[in-house]
Amino acid sequence: MQKHILVVDDEAPIRDLLGSFLSRKGYRVTTVSSAIEAEDAVGKDVPDLVITDLQLENSDGLEMIDRLKAVLPETPMMLLTGVLFDPRVVRETLKKKVSCYVEKTAPLSRILEEVQGLVGK
Amino acid sequence: MDKTIRRILVFFLLVIGVFVVVAVDSVRNINRAVAGSDWVNHTHSVILETEALRSALYLGDGAAHTFVVTGDVADRRAGVEALSDVSEHLEIMAALTRNEPPQRDQVARIDSLVGARVAFIRGVLAARQAGNMGAVRTMLSDDAGQPALKEIERAIGRLKDDELALLTERDTASFVQAQMTRWTVWTGVVLDFLLLAGAGWLIRDDITARRAAAAALQEANSQLEAKVRERTAELASANEMLTAENMERHWANQGLEHQLHYNQLIINSINDLVMVLTKATNISRVNLAVVRVTGFEPHELINRPFSSFARLAQEGGAPVLDPIAQAMNEGRDLRDQAATIADRVGRRIPVSVALFPLRDRDKVVGGVVVIQVIRPEEKLEHQI
Repeated sequence: MQKHILVVDDEAPIRDLLGSFLSRKGYRVTTVSSAIEAEDAVGKDVPDLVITDLQLENSDGLEMIDRLKAVLPETPMMLLTGVLFDPRVVRETLKKKVSCYVEKTAPLSRILEEVQGLVGK
Repeated sequence: MDKTIRRILVFFLLVIGVFVVVAVDSVRNINRAVAGSDWVNHTHSVILETEALRSALYLGDGAAHTFVVTGDVADRRAGVEALSDVSEHLEIMAALTRNEPPQRDQVARIDSLVGARVAFIRGVLAARQAGNMGAVRTMLSDDAGQPALKEIERAIGRLKDDELALLTERDTASFVQAQMTRWTVWTGVVLDFLLLAGAGWLIRDDITARRAAAAALQEANSQLEAKVRERTAELASANEMLTAENMERHWANQGLEHQLHYNQLIINSINDLVMVLTKATNISRVNLAVVRVTGFEPHELINRPFSSFARLAQEGGAPVLDPIAQAMNEGRDLRDQAATIADRVGRRIPVSVALFPLRDRDKVVGGVVVIQVIRPEEKLEHQI
C-alpha cells in the first residue's frame, strides 16, 4: 500500500515540485499551503509523514507541528526550511520537536533518503 | 503463385493426364474386347452351322439309303426333311460369311458340292419312288466309296480348320489385349501413385520450409520485440534520469531563489541604510532604507563611488585619505564615523557610518556599510 505524505508549504512552486517528485517515487501525496489546511487534511486522511516549511502564512511550522503531534503522536514530522540554522540549534532545539530537519538547499535525493528512512520505500 | 505451388499443379496435371490416357486406352480395349467377343460368337455360329450342315447331309444321305432298302415312306420323308435342313443351313452359312470373302468363297464351294450331293440323293429317292431299282442300283454303284461326300467332308473340314485357326488367333490377340490393358492400368496406377507421392513430397517439403520460415520470422520478431523492449527500458530509464535531474535542477533553483528572497527580506527589513561596496569603494547594492531616506533609486546609486554619496568628517581639517578606502585596504572595521549624505534634492543628512569588510578566505573582497541617520536630538547630544 502506498504511504501517504502531507506536504505543507506556502510557496506553490516548492509544494508542487516536491509533491510531484514524491509521487513519482511511489508515494501518495497531499499538498496544502497553510497550517489550517494541514490540520483539516489530517482529520480527513491520516498521513504517514508530514513535511512542513518553517515559515507559513499566519503561522509557524514548529507551532503547527506541536498541534499535529497532539492528534498524531506516532507520525514522523520533517521540517524542510530555507532558514539555515546553526548545527547546535538543530541538535538541541529542533531535534526535540521534529523527526528530521532538512534544508531546502539539500538535493531531492537527500530528501528522498530521509523520507525513506522515516516511512520506508 | 510461388514455385512450389506451380510444381504441385504440374504434378496434378500429370496425374490427370495419366488417368485420362489410362481411361481412354481401357475404353478402347473394352470396345475391342466386345468386338472380339462378337466375332468369336459369330465364328462359333459358322462352325456350328457347318456341323449342323454335315449332320443334316449325312442324315439325308442315310435316310435315302434306308428308303432304298425299305421303301418305307417315312424314311423318304425323313430324307426329304433332312435335305430341306441342309438348304436352310447353307443359307445361314452364306449369310454368316457374307462379309468375309475367304470364308464366303469356301461356303460357295461347299454349297456347290452339297448342291450336287443333294441332287444325287433326290435322284435316288425319285428312282426308288418310281420303283426303278435298276437306275437306283446304277446310281449307287457310281457312288461307291462316296467320293462326293468325302470331298464335302474335306471342304467342311478346311472351313472349320480356318475358323478355328482364326479363333485361336483372335483368342491370342484378345489375351494380348487384356494383358496390355492390365499393364496400362497398372502402369497408370503406379505412375499416378508416384506422381502423387512426388506431389506429397513437394507439399511436405514446402510445409517444412514454410514452418522453418515462420519459425525464423517468429524468432526474428521475438528478437526485435526483445530489442524494442530493451531499448524502451533504456529510454524509459534515461527519461527517468533526465526527469530526476531536471527536478533536482528546479529544486536547486527554487532553494536558491528562496534563500535569496529570504536574505533580501532580511536586508530590506533593516531600518538602517545598508550598502555593499566593492573593494574600490563603489556602491554595488543598497537596501530599501537607502531609497526611502535619500529618494535615490538603486540604479542611480549602483556603481557610484561611495565618497560621492557620503562625506565623512575629519578632525583637524580636510581629509587627506578617504577613511573608508583606508579601512577597506587595511581590512579593519570602521565604526561610528560622523558623516553627511546627500539626498536626491541635495540636502545634507547627518549620519553615523560603520564599515565591515567582507572577507572571502582571508581576502577582503568588499565591505558592508551601515549608515544610521542621526535625529536632531541625537545630533545635539553628539555635539555636546
